[in-house]
Amino acid sequence: MKRRTFLQLGGMTAAGAWLSGCRSANERLIPYLVSPDEGVTPGRAEYYASACRFCPAGCGILVRVSEGRAKKIEGNPAHPVNRGKLCARGQAILQELYHPDRVPQPLKRTGPRGSGKFTPISWGEGLSLLAGRLSALQRERSTERLALMTTQLRGTLAELADRFVAAFGSPHHIRFDLLAPDWLRAANRRSFGQASLPWYDIAETRYLLSFGADFLEYHLSPVHYGFAFGRMRQGRDTVRGHFTYVGGRMSLTAASADRWMPVRPGSEGALALGMARLILTESLYDAASMAASGLWPERLAAGLEAYDLPQVAQLTGLPQQVIAEVAREFATTPPSLAMAGEMVAFQDNGPEAVRAVQLLNVLAGNLNRPGGVFPGGSVAGPENSFADLLAFVERMRGDRIGVALIHGDPLHTIPPVTGFPEALARVPFVVSFSPLLDDTALQADLILPDHAALESWGDVIPPVAPRGTVIGLMQPVVTPLHDTRQFPEVLMATARELGGGMAAAFPQQSYLEMLKEAMKKEVHPAGGIDFETVWVDLLRQGGLFKTEGKGGKGYRWTAEAPVPAPAEPRFAGDDKRFPLHLQIYPSTAFYDGRGAPLPWLQQLPDPMTTVVWDSWVEINPATAAGLGIGFGDLVEVTSPRGSLHLPAVLYPGIRPDMVAIPMGQGHRGMGRYAEGRGVNPLALLALADNGTGPLPAWNATRVRVARISKEGNLVTAGNPEGSYRGELIEI
Amino acid sequence: MSEPTLSAAKSAVRMNDAMLSSLRPPTLRWYLLAFFLGGVVAWGLYAFGYMVSTDMSCTGLDRPVMWGVYIVNFVFWIGLSHSGTMVSAILRLSRANWRRPILRAAEAMTVFTVTIGGLFPLIHLGRNWVFFYLIPYPNQRGLWPNFRSALLWDATAIFTYIIGSSLFLYLGMLPDLAVARDRCAGWRRTLYGALAMGWRGTAREWLIFQKASTLMAALIIPVAVSVHSIVAWDFAVTVVPGWHSTIFPPYFVIGAILSGVAAVITLMAIIRKAFHLEEFLTPLHFDNMGKLLLVIALLWSYAYFVEVQTTWYAHEPIEWEVFSFMAGRYTPALVLMLVGNSLLPLTLLCFRRIRRSVGAMLVISLLVNVAMFIERYLIIVPSLSHKNMPFVWGTYSPSWVELSVTAGAFAGFALMYTFFAKCFPMVALTDVRELEARKVLVPFARAELPSIAGKEGGDD
Amino acid sequence: MEKQTSPYRWGMVVDLDRCTGCGACVVACQAENNVAICGKKEIAEGRNMHWLRIERFWVGEYPNVRARFLPVLCQHCRDAPCEPVCPVYASYHNPDGLNGQVYNRCVGTRYCGNNCPYAVRVFNFYSHQWPKPLDNQLSPDITVRPRGVMEKCTFCVQRIRRAKEDASGEGRLVRDGEVQPACAQTCPAEALVFGNLADPRSRVARLVRSPRRFRLLEHLGTHPSVYYLKGGGREHV
Repeated sequence: MKRRTFLQLGGMTAAGAWLSGCRSANERLIPYLVSPDEGVTPGRAEYYASACRFCPAGCGILVRVSEGRAKKIEGNPAHPVNRGKLCARGQAILQELYHPDRVPQPLKRTGPRGSGKFTPISWGEGLSLLAGRLSALQRERSTERLALMTTQLRGTLAELADRFVAAFGSPHHIRFDLLAPDWLRAANRRSFGQASLPWYDIAETRYLLSFGADFLEYHLSPVHYGFAFGRMRQGRDTVRGHFTYVGGRMSLTAASADRWMPVRPGSEGALALGMARLILTESLYDAASMAASGLWPERLAAGLEAYDLPQVAQLTGLPQQVIAEVAREFATTPPSLAMAGEMVAFQDNGPEAVRAVQLLNVLAGNLNRPGGVFPGGSVAGPENSFADLLAFVERMRGDRIGVALIHGDPLHTIPPVTGFPEALARVPFVVSFSPLLDDTALQADLILPDHAALESWGDVIPPVAPRGTVIGLMQPVVTPLHDTRQFPEVLMATARELGGGMAAAFPQQSYLEMLKEAMKKEVHPAGGIDFETVWVDLLRQGGLFKTEGKGGKGYRWTAEAPVPAPAEPRFAGDDKRFPLHLQIYPSTAFYDGRGAPLPWLQQLPDPMTTVVWDSWVEINPATAAGLGIGFGDLVEVTSPRGSLHLPAVLYPGIRPDMVAIPMGQGHRGMGRYAEGRGVNPLALLALADNGTGPLPAWNATRVRVARISKEGNLVTAGNPEGSYRGELIEI
Repeated sequence: MSEPTLSAAKSAVRMNDAMLSSLRPPTLRWYLLAFFLGGVVAWGLYAFGYMVSTDMSCTGLDRPVMWGVYIVNFVFWIGLSHSGTMVSAILRLSRANWRRPILRAAEAMTVFTVTIGGLFPLIHLGRNWVFFYLIPYPNQRGLWPNFRSALLWDATAIFTYIIGSSLFLYLGMLPDLAVARDRCAGWRRTLYGALAMGWRGTAREWLIFQKASTLMAALIIPVAVSVHSIVAWDFAVTVVPGWHSTIFPPYFVIGAILSGVAAVITLMAIIRKAFHLEEFLTPLHFDNMGKLLLVIALLWSYAYFVEVQTTWYAHEPIEWEVFSFMAGRYTPALVLMLVGNSLLPLTLLCFRRIRRSVGAMLVISLLVNVAMFIERYLIIVPSLSHKNMPFVWGTYSPSWVELSVTAGAFAGFALMYTFFAKCFPMVALTDVRELEARKVLVPFARAELPSIAGKEGGDD
Repeated sequence: MEKQTSPYRWGMVVDLDRCTGCGACVVACQAENNVAICGKKEIAEGRNMHWLRIERFWVGEYPNVRARFLPVLCQHCRDAPCEPVCPVYASYHNPDGLNGQVYNRCVGTRYCGNNCPYAVRVFNFYSHQWPKPLDNQLSPDITVRPRGVMEKCTFCVQRIRRAKEDASGEGRLVRDGEVQPACAQTCPAEALVFGNLADPRSRVARLVRSPRRFRLLEHLGTHPSVYYLKGGGREHV
């Protein structure tokens, strides 16, 4: 026996003797003498590569596992999207795994819907219940009455879900995400003839002009762009990239800008076109780029006649001089880059406004050049899933859906104005796969709990990567804590239970097998190399990262593309009764609300307001003073759709005619940390009436605000007065 | 104007009777008082126990205000303890004979207040149960406390002061204990006999007693000054705006003496009434103490002015922020402090009639101590509330636990005093009698008037 | 200046021009160091346990308003005000220039917390609990602090120690970039850079020579090991 071991044992014996009064000494000694299974070394941590599926960005992660328990999530340095970096949300998914209120096994509803009364059942029982319902549909020859609703899945999971629905004989796989970039794909198709998502080369740009694109918070790939932003600022020896932000509310992204242009909501497109016109009339455009895109400067200028500077200044509420200055800087500081984001797209005239911003990139010659914008290597996705959603709601309303399988929490993330909640209530059998009792699960008849992300297999295809093929691989890093099963496994098991054509559609034994097959197709292992070796390698590095590869077809303004023509913005609610614009924005911590059950994220002070554990409404101090509202007062926000009570935050970075509420809180369920906390602002949203069909114009609702009382119960991490006293520490 | 002086015909026995009256068996009222005080102490102990057994979240403390009412109490009680030193030692050395009837009360107060004050740093610890880490005891791992910490200086100074003032009290009481021994029977006789250590009152004993008393008086003064300087250093040596000030040590000492003297006046008024010692504690004594209070209130006002004036003139942003915050949020308290510590004593104590009115003096002295408590609060809490980093500014208000412990401390002090008064001679018997003995009739024109300005020392 | 007895002097550079205020570092720190989960009540009482916070300051008024972010963590001062005031040496200076905190030794006088001008020390007013199975996330490398104890940023000393052990096992010094605290590791914009200030070729040492450099409350003479780089360039306020 080595001296060290002896001392260790001696120490343990002593400690054991000391503690033997309260518990058996053996209990404490054994793990040190008999080494546990699975090659676990006490005190030595292992790292497992995986991928994050919390938001669509799809970053690579490394999970530190110690003695069979996941301890910490870090970014995977090998992953080209996040390069070892990770946002707050990605690190917090550890708490999804160990959440104290997870659904530990399948549940069957016993009380009325929404009462939260469930009985635990076994998986066998749960699966046969589901299969029974499905085979009933088969017997009735009404297989189209099955609907599967998921978030916008990609990769094998999307394929599997599609296959399940198709094999069953239903056309209804609804893939709706409130924040999905459908609008960007659609605009790209209209302007450039290809629906791929763009990849912005922020790191190399010298002048970044963001129209409501909050790329540091949630837009497309926040960690990827956050990394690029750091390099744009200080990554080059002599150049510091300049950043101007256009938007009525100073978002976290806008807070990092050198210049903030608080534009009137809905006039962003007009601003972009006004700048375009100025660039054209002052001949500051990039002639080569214009020629390559087949645009004639004179003709284009003539098309933009309406957007002369005084007119644009009036529409946007910005000084003429500022608009002209930014337009000139943008055109004369190559490479420059204009981005359009959700805050523009979710206006009533959003689709055209986004294209107006794209036109700026054409004018300044920013297409397909370093520091500009490239087509991303990402796969195509839905371009108008909102229309699918509305059609689906219509079907449910007409009692034409018999079984709805729901993965995700649409009841929380779909604005009630779509009629979704009432329509879902009419569906006779609703199945939820949520790992927590979220709003949707509370309304479900059967809950078949999914694994936590860290217990799952999967492939994660990031929507934004420079070029080439990037597929992140998820692998279970711990043995499952509860009696849960992964969503794709449940679909496959159900198919097997149904038998016949359904079972035949899934020849693989498990989802893992399917995943491996898909990866095998991607890597084409050279002759002689065993795929298992390749597979283990892929798992070890966290996925397949082929970043050199092809560049893809570059962007080019298509000949058919019309000149962007954003209409005059329309809003739900008249400006007399509802004098303020409402902006709903994804919370930095919770994204669309999926982060709300995680206490680390609840405790994380919102970067802009430093509020913790709550919802709030941001009001310009001048407006608040006019309404007699003080910091932290409880106020009522009323829209044509309804009203909410929540505390007010006096926010100097917002237009006086605007208020803003973050998304993410207001869950009816979702465990002890989220339940009943804050409000869900989506309840306020109304759809602006637009003759051409419904648009997801989430930022086109007007509201009014009234003070209720002093008891807002608002908690901020920072002292509200001290937050204005930066001069005391010379900041 | 005739002074109510002691009658020349008064016999030693009568004097002994009067001055040892407090030792008579307790009355029902005494028991009621003791029970009431005991109840409050028990409540305070319960609150403390609750805090220790749960956690410190039941206090009002937070970040950045990590010190609150406990430390206010600490400074306040240590301040009060300057009564005994001031009245007893300084007046002994300066041979002010009017001190004699009150010095016992003052010395006892010193011992009790410093004991209670010394408890507060232990009460306020996050982990009271490992308080012994603060004590330099030899241990195998060679871990010693950090003598660079002002808290350890505190501990050292306070222990010295407790020991010193206890000795001082005990030494002064020695002949009285012998008198009490001779007049008592039963357990009291045994107790006083043991404590009197065989005092017989021989000339040699008196000589040694005289020397020792004078020596102790001379020694205790620097200790007292150092104690409160060190308490002030707890604050002054930090980098907290509003604390980091060179005026703090003398300012704290002056404040301590102010509250000490005021507390002695309060006690004099109470003892005089409770034990019917009107004969010994005359308005003359109140007059003299009033003069002393007036002088010290003047000094305090000067120190406060200096502190504010330098801060205002320098206008260092964060320091001035602390002052403006304090003046804004705590305006009523600030006004009360200035009135109680400065305005009222400075105006009223100029009038002899007020100085000689026991009731007025009681009110003024109580007000001074209320104001001193506020002063400690306004030094400690606002400075921490608005420290250097504006983002983490905070506020503080004491919780029921802290207030209960504070109430318990006040009741505990009163209870100790009540017990002490019942067990030991409250008036320095031999000192007073010595004065009587020295009293000579001084020819004044055609009359012979008693003088209390007899000379001390062994040379006459 | 004291004699340097260690080849390391750990320091950090916070580039405020890169910092976007996203809060990734805050969660990273909390996850790495077993920092307690604090509910709304606790934070309302001013007892948030975060070791690292992002301060947000508003400058100016609408529309010429700016928000500035300032990540504040323990500054690991060379002349740290928290150290001498601790009566039991729970707060001490290690040879690598870190301000250590010995939780076992701490008696909870909170004197260090008062004397820290940066207010980065947090006190366990509460006895914190992790409802099961959330306790599984607790890292075995770091003590779970009991109530009544002061705690603070350690620059992830457990990582530093491991890196030093690994390096000394190979008979070399810790390489630049080999060890990073959780906050710097995760920072998407690379606003936080950690390294050895004693090595003039390290990345931190090079960044510290930037003219944009400043230190927090420099006039107090605490000589922090955390340097900040001012946001630079043309600002249109």
